Amino acid sequence: MAVSDISHRLRFLAEGNAYLPHIAVIEKIIDETYDVRTFHFNCKDEKLREEFTFESGQFALVSVLGIGEAPFSISSSPTRRDHLECSIRQVGRLTRALHRLGEGAEIGFRGPYGNSFPLDFLEGKNLVFVGGGIGLAPLRSLIWNVVDNRDRYQNIDIIYGARSSTDLCFRYDLEAWGKDKTIDMVTTVDKGDEVWTGRVGLVPVVLEQAAPSASNAVAIVCGPPIMIRFTLPVLEKLGFTPEQMLTTLEKRMKCGVGKCGRCNIGNLYVCRDGPVFSYAQIKGFISSEY
Amino acid sequence: MTSKKKINKKDIAKLLSEWSQEFTVFVPWRDEGVAKWAKWDGKDASFLDWYRNTIVPPKAIFLPPVEGMFSFQKGKEGYHIELPPSDRRKELIFGIRPCDAKALAILDMIFSDTYEDPYYLARRKNGVLVGLGCVNPYDSCFCTSLGSSPTDSTNVDLMLTDVGDELLVEVITDKGKELMTKTSLAQAATQADEARARGEREVAYNKVTRQLDTKDIEKKLLANFDNKDYWEKIAAKCISCGICTFLCPTCYCFDINDELIKNQGERFKSWDSCAFPLYTKMPMENPRAEKWRRLRQKVCHKYEFYPINFDVIACTGCGRCIRLCPVNWDITQTLDSLPTKEKVKLEK
Amino acid sequence: MKDEGMESKLRSEAKALLEQGKVDYIIGFEDGSLKFTTTPLMTSDKDDTSRLVINPFIVNNLSVFLTEVMGRVGIVAKGCDSRSIVSLVQDNKVAREDVVILGVPCLGIIDLGKVEELVGKGRDEIEDIIRDGDRVVIMASGNKREFPTREVLFDNCLSCELPTPQEYDILLGEPTSLADDRERAASQKKIDSLRDMTPEQRWEFWTSEFDRCIRCYACRNVCPACFCQQCFVEETEPQWLSPLPRWQDNLMFQVVRIIHVAGRCTDCGECERACPVNIPLRSLTRGMYDIVDVLFHYRAGMDKEAPPLLATYEATDAEDFIR
Repeated sequence: MAVSDISHRLRFLAEGNAYLPHIAVIEKIIDETYDVRTFHFNCKDEKLREEFTFESGQFALVSVLGIGEAPFSISSSPTRRDHLECSIRQVGRLTRALHRLGEGAEIGFRGPYGNSFPLDFLEGKNLVFVGGGIGLAPLRSLIWNVVDNRDRYQNIDIIYGARSSTDLCFRYDLEAWGKDKTIDMVTTVDKGDEVWTGRVGLVPVVLEQAAPSASNAVAIVCGPPIMIRFTLPVLEKLGFTPEQMLTTLEKRMKCGVGKCGRCNIGNLYVCRDGPVFSYAQIKGFISSEY
Repeated sequence: MTSKKKINKKDIAKLLSEWSQEFTVFVPWRDEGVAKWAKWDGKDASFLDWYRNTIVPPKAIFLPPVEGMFSFQKGKEGYHIELPPSDRRKELIFGIRPCDAKALAILDMIFSDTYEDPYYLARRKNGVLVGLGCVNPYDSCFCTSLGSSPTDSTNVDLMLTDVGDELLVEVITDKGKELMTKTSLAQAATQADEARARGEREVAYNKVTRQLDTKDIEKKLLANFDNKDYWEKIAAKCISCGICTFLCPTCYCFDINDELIKNQGERFKSWDSCAFPLYTKMPMENPRAEKWRRLRQKVCHKYEFYPINFDVIACTGCGRCIRLCPVNWDITQTLDSLPTKEKVKLEK
Repeated sequence: MKDEGMESKLRSEAKALLEQGKVDYIIGFEDGSLKFTTTPLMTSDKDDTSRLVINPFIVNNLSVFLTEVMGRVGIVAKGCDSRSIVSLVQDNKVAREDVVILGVPCLGIIDLGKVEELVGKGRDEIEDIIRDGDRVVIMASGNKREFPTREVLFDNCLSCELPTPQEYDILLGEPTSLADDRERAASQKKIDSLRDMTPEQRWEFWTSEFDRCIRCYACRNVCPACFCQQCFVEETEPQWLSPLPRWQDNLMFQVVRIIHVAGRCTDCGECERACPVNIPLRSLTRGMYDIVDVLFHYRAGMDKEAPPLLATYEATDAEDFIR
């Protein structure tokens, strides 16, 4: 049988067909940066809207019917279910079509797919979140999830960076977490400018300087592949074992259910056995396939 | 699995006619010299004269090159999505070779794993396979190295063995049993007939000369995963076309694309290939931009990753990739030349 | 053409080139894994050069690899291949000084499809194919049959305009002569029959041919003139045509591809040979080749100093299509 039993994930399939999208309606649009937008949306069908739930780390396949479909992490937290959120950067045909949509527009939506952050494993531990650019989107779901159940977890460190101040996403969250006294928040940019008065430095470098303790800790990393490649060795240096490092990977996806073949890393499919992986699981392939 | 019946080759056309009452019958067919599977034209069974194996495998019947998944329409009240009408047509594949039948059994595993692919599985459910053992394997065949044989009857509903003028019939499954009730053309087979069949099967088995040692192949591939020098050398002459993957009976990777005309459209599945450069391309980077990485993926997926997930090598030794590759790239040579020493140069 | 003299000369020259550091790679042919086939050999190891072969089955146009191999290359080229190399030099894709052309005077390549049809046996059922000047002897099931060589050569070999490379660094044998006019007619038979059809008949023919196309892109990938980093079929903004393998888009793909290679296609015939579903692509490519000849009096790959055809304009260019 394939690697893991995921039969519990067979929920919310339209007419039992994993490829069939539901219709969702855009309710609100927030411009995060010049090319990133967050969409607040909800399922059009009343019953589905009520019942729909997901876990932090899972993603959905969002489409503009007739243009195409792509995977996006659900960046809202399952603890705040009045609407769903996805953050989308404009990079090609589909995302440009998505950015042209306004409030009230209908999109195709299927999910939730993928695995999720292992909350029982994180419980009672110190959490170190390391995010880069729009990579904060999947982490954000987990961070709010954790904050909404604060007493289950120990210290929270968040290190987040972007290429420049104009690339910082979720500023409203960064502000809220900065004000939260139970969170140690560090925001940095790769390259400073006249406007930016905060920290300047690459995320892996800032992480090394912050030197969070690896004792009873789990690091959760998400960002562009190059950031992940440089961050994981820093965490190793700080004493984190491969099992203590979680990451959520991004790959080109089409089917989202482990069949079309393209998102594999070794024998694991990012859409099916991921996107959340521990470094221990993917260590053998990470330098070569990601 | 004793054969009890036989059919004269001269009666095959009549047999297909009888089965055509209930089934759409697919037979090997030559279209401008290209052997593929097509609906039987109702005339004769002359394909038996030239048929060795087709170029386009029978996977094309169950997993077509293009297939509509659903259609949609944008009206005043928003989108309306519709599934295609369910295809209840029953299909009979006459003359499928053991390698191609085994390949379908291998495809069944991925398409029924947890999220079921309704399109492929519906066709398989409505499909019946009548296998025909080989008498004349190609020099590119290597099914015997992959746990199969030119006359393996494991994955079909009825198995036919060619003994010259006649075909011996073995019932393998209940579907096959039911098929035989729809015809009166079969006669009883004698002991001598069965002995002849056994003899023919052995002859066919020995005709497969190409061998591949698959012992520990998973471990060898894992050990060489980062051996960039080896993969670069292997991949040098590949031209990254889709021939080996499209014409492979066990390859199944697909693409999903939408089409739109004004307010109506359809979403399609179509054949895709891990050999294509754009297969894994993301907006900011492409993890398999380099040819050697793609070739490594193709080989490792078939001989390492699929076996890890499903306990079977995703290759049945049909040899089409070797026969049809424009540069004669040969997977058996690639696997045979895998370095086995501990000292492999690791990629930086 | 199985000339031991040429073969041994090739092996020693190739080895010397690598030993003396004059090239980084040798690209040639070695025996394939199936009977009567050869496969490209690409190596930087001088000992591998002992496997280089020259025989009537060295069909590939190896110049397709020049646009991806880094460094200086010693490349085995028949007449048609050398024209493709020249065409790449004209297009500035390859620097002439980076290539050492090991020219092979060619007597034509044997088309195994034709052999199979003549003897009614599969390639793997044939015992031997021996070329002896203008006769070819085929041994199958203990029987010996003889045919005129031109009956088993590829169509485009029959009308070859340059069997011996004009542009070369080392010529491996004595120059061979051109095909005569009778053979040119033979190579054009299929193409002429298409010209004799009415437009409706031709449309019927091609739409049915392209119904078989599976969009494997072997035709494009095997063509030395198709060296674009991103092919027009892979563009999404705008999406020029659908990636789905239906005859409409298949036909459009091929038509546009042929226009894109006009003036650079040397009629090497690789596209038709590589096609796994027997689409007679040469009928289209050769058709374009002839149009280019008529309109511009230009043949690809004959003059490395000439500017690329469709990148230039001459006052004498035909203008009768402007009305």
